[in-house]
Amino acid sequence: MVGAGLAGVRAGEALRAQGFSGKLTLVSDEPEPPYDRPPLTKQVVTGTLTEADIRLPGTAELDARWVRGVAAVGLDRERRRVRLADGTELPYDGLVLATGARARPWPGEVPADGVLTVRGLADVRRLRSALAGGAREVAVVGAGFVGVELASSLAALGVRVTLVEPFGLPLRVLGGSVPGLVAKAARRAGVQLLTGTGVRGFHAEGEQVRGVELADGSVLPARLVVVAIGMVPATEWLQGSGLALPSGRVHCDKRLFARTPDPSGRGDPRIVVAGDVARCDAVRSADGPVPLEHWSNAAAQGELAGRNLLAGPDTAQPYAHVPSFWTSAFGLRIRSVGLPGTGDRVAVEAGDPATDAVLEAHYRESRLVGAVSVNQGQLLAAYARRLHQAPEEAFLG
Amino acid sequence: MRITVDHGLCDGLGQCTLVAPEVFALNDDERLEVAPDPAPELTQKVTAAARACPVRAITVEGA
Repeated sequence: MVGAGLAGVRAGEALRAQGFSGKLTLVSDEPEPPYDRPPLTKQVVTGTLTEADIRLPGTAELDARWVRGVAAVGLDRERRRVRLADGTELPYDGLVLATGARARPWPGEVPADGVLTVRGLADVRRLRSALAGGAREVAVVGAGFVGVELASSLAALGVRVTLVEPFGLPLRVLGGSVPGLVAKAARRAGVQLLTGTGVRGFHAEGEQVRGVELADGSVLPARLVVVAIGMVPATEWLQGSGLALPSGRVHCDKRLFARTPDPSGRGDPRIVVAGDVARCDAVRSADGPVPLEHWSNAAAQGELAGRNLLAGPDTAQPYAHVPSFWTSAFGLRIRSVGLPGTGDRVAVEAGDPATDAVLEAHYRESRLVGAVSVNQGQLLAAYARRLHQAPEEAFLG
Repeated sequence: MRITVDHGLCDGLGQCTLVAPEVFALNDDERLEVAPDPAPELTQKVTAAARACPVRAITVEGA
């Protein structure tokens, strides 16, 4: 397993559960034992969960060899070896690619002190130590899931937060009236929300950031800036491996085997892919395969990747998973199933967007493609069932 | 099969209700409710639902 987050660990567990008794090695470029990421921007920032609380359980029972704090830097499929940053090589009979993603860095110059991205435990430690050091005015650039969750957690800690989103409302990927609800709730929580406001760069005194320069030339004062503008799949080490890497993700077939440019269309029978790094043929909208960057996908895909690797391509099972995700911010409990952002029509099917309790269904050419709930999560299971029951018409397989 | 939910951990995320809706459901307050005595043929679904719980609030014994 290259990558020892949720997807890699679930793959290892599945291999053992299926009776694999050979040698298992998990490689991670992070020094920590495996942990869960969803609480990082929420409970770990606010201090209600500790690092020990978010460790993934059961890793000792894997009976595995762990290589920690060492990145994979190359893959030689012909010789079946993974090259590591410390110069060693790991031979393999089967390989799980689960390297996930990194936070997308700011595409320009950044002062050395006071500008962070948040993806892993080390980032949250830096954030917490900046707060402990007295940072009381924080700017968050980017109102996707990470930016919104962080803004919510920081506001709950009493920090003055400005959330800047160049491209419109927060969580706009959810569509419908939910982004507007999130904007309203953010303002109610005391967050200064600047939408449709571009960012030119940063002002610094020496190496310490002092503010964010906005598109209109004004400067937003901040001693701490969190850049939350998305993620980049961690696949640069696979350049030259001969694997298909569309948009930087590892392309895998419906059974999670890594695809190659081989004209037969067959994947590499010794390599499976799971989690944020994957672009899987079995997860698609009407426009083609869609990458998923959610916990539930990493868990389900990791498990199937482990099973399918052991079974081999001929008896492997196709991936059939209804996407689902959750977030909580500013007192709103938001859940979704399917691919809500890919519809062409949104219908309020329960509740009322004016009351912070609503369910919206998303349709494309009158077919259900997804649903989003705010404080109405009890209604989603029925939508998930509908999405699961019409796979050939929806986005699955 | 015996299902135990730790309501102190459960956050009403509802992932289990997507995997095994025959057994798990959220009520109108988004609190989890579990059907008593699920049929033995649901065992696989119930253990999958427990694995799908992000906060590991579900324990299944005798599966």
